[in-house]
Amino acid sequence: MIFIAILIGCILGAILGLNAPMISYTYSSYLAIAIIAALDSVFGGIASVIKKNFDLKIFISGFFGNAILAILLTILGQKLNVDIYLAAIVVFVWRMFMNLGTIRRYYVEKWTDIIKEKASSKSKKNNNEKEEKQGKEQEEK
Amino acid sequence: MKKGKIAMTITIGIACFALVTVMMMQFKVVNETDITAIEDMQESELKTQLANWKTRYEEIDAQYQEVAQRIEEYKNDEESNNEASRLVQEELEQTNTLLGLTDVHGEGIVITLKSGEDGAAISADDLLVIVNALKFAGAEAISINDERIVNTTDIVYISAGSFIKVNGQRILEPYVIKVIGNQSHMESAVTGTGGKVEELQTLGHTVTIEKDNDITIGKYNGEIETKYIE
Repeated sequence: MIFIAILIGCILGAILGLNAPMISYTYSSYLAIAIIAALDSVFGGIASVIKKNFDLKIFISGFFGNAILAILLTILGQKLNVDIYLAAIVVFVWRMFMNLGTIRRYYVEKWTDIIKEKASSKSKKNNNEKEEKQGKEQEEK
Repeated sequence: MKKGKIAMTITIGIACFALVTVMMMQFKVVNETDITAIEDMQESELKTQLANWKTRYEEIDAQYQEVAQRIEEYKNDEESNNEASRLVQEELEQTNTLLGLTDVHGEGIVITLKSGEDGAAISADDLLVIVNALKFAGAEAISINDERIVNTTDIVYISAGSFIKVNGQRILEPYVIKVIGNQSHMESAVTGTGGKVEELQTLGHTVTIEKDNDITIGKYNGEIETKYIE
């Protein structure tokens, strides 16, 4: 369900983004850092959905707040002649990997569980059949 | 499905939508700027380059100013040279005119002298007196039978052949004296009581005086040479 929403959002966004007017190159560095922040927020949201502690307010405030904060930090860094955006990128990318790890672990565990269940149900069935056969044989005797 | 789950799904979908929109815009910008190859440089690099260009521009501008100033100077020089050469040219023309080395034209009179059939012919002395009188009256250019009177001109009577030489050239009657100058002054210099014309007329010679508003007097054909002037 959630993946359908993500897919639809991505497709619509791509269509709109490709038709949107060009932005000046001057602002593209701010935009890049905002994209990283938003990407981190989205992954964080998905991870929290999986962990079942998703909060709409936290997600929305994180999505916009992180992006705006990252842009402001970049501007400040340019004013101070310090590359603060590098620190922001490090933090966001690190968190992104953390969230991706959570998501990955969840699905790996889920799939292994499913496989295990299938395997165990199969062996149970086999066992049952064997027992039935053995029972029949015993009855025949 | 729970109400919270729907809201969550929609929110994440919208977030993805916004994210991908901005990402696509950014991709476009980066792609566009790829062409110019500026994005390969760091901002500091660009700043350095800009500073370099600025310095170079200033240098070249200073050079340009200098050159422009020099050109201005040359132009002024040229103008003054032109002025000087123009003055020299004018002076030369004036000198040539005065020396009789150029053809000149202007208002003046033409005196035609013809000897009477009996009695003595018109002599060189008569011509000399007339020329002298004309010069005294302010004549600017004189010629006798198209021989220009210049400062080396001689008017002599050659008795051996009984003819008159002007500028070393033999001239024959009728003697036509062309003068450029004030017409009335010229006329009164040679006519009037006691004038040479009257004298010649009483001796039986024919003298006619014509006024002309555009007389052309040819230049002196000989060469003015100096051997002893140092």
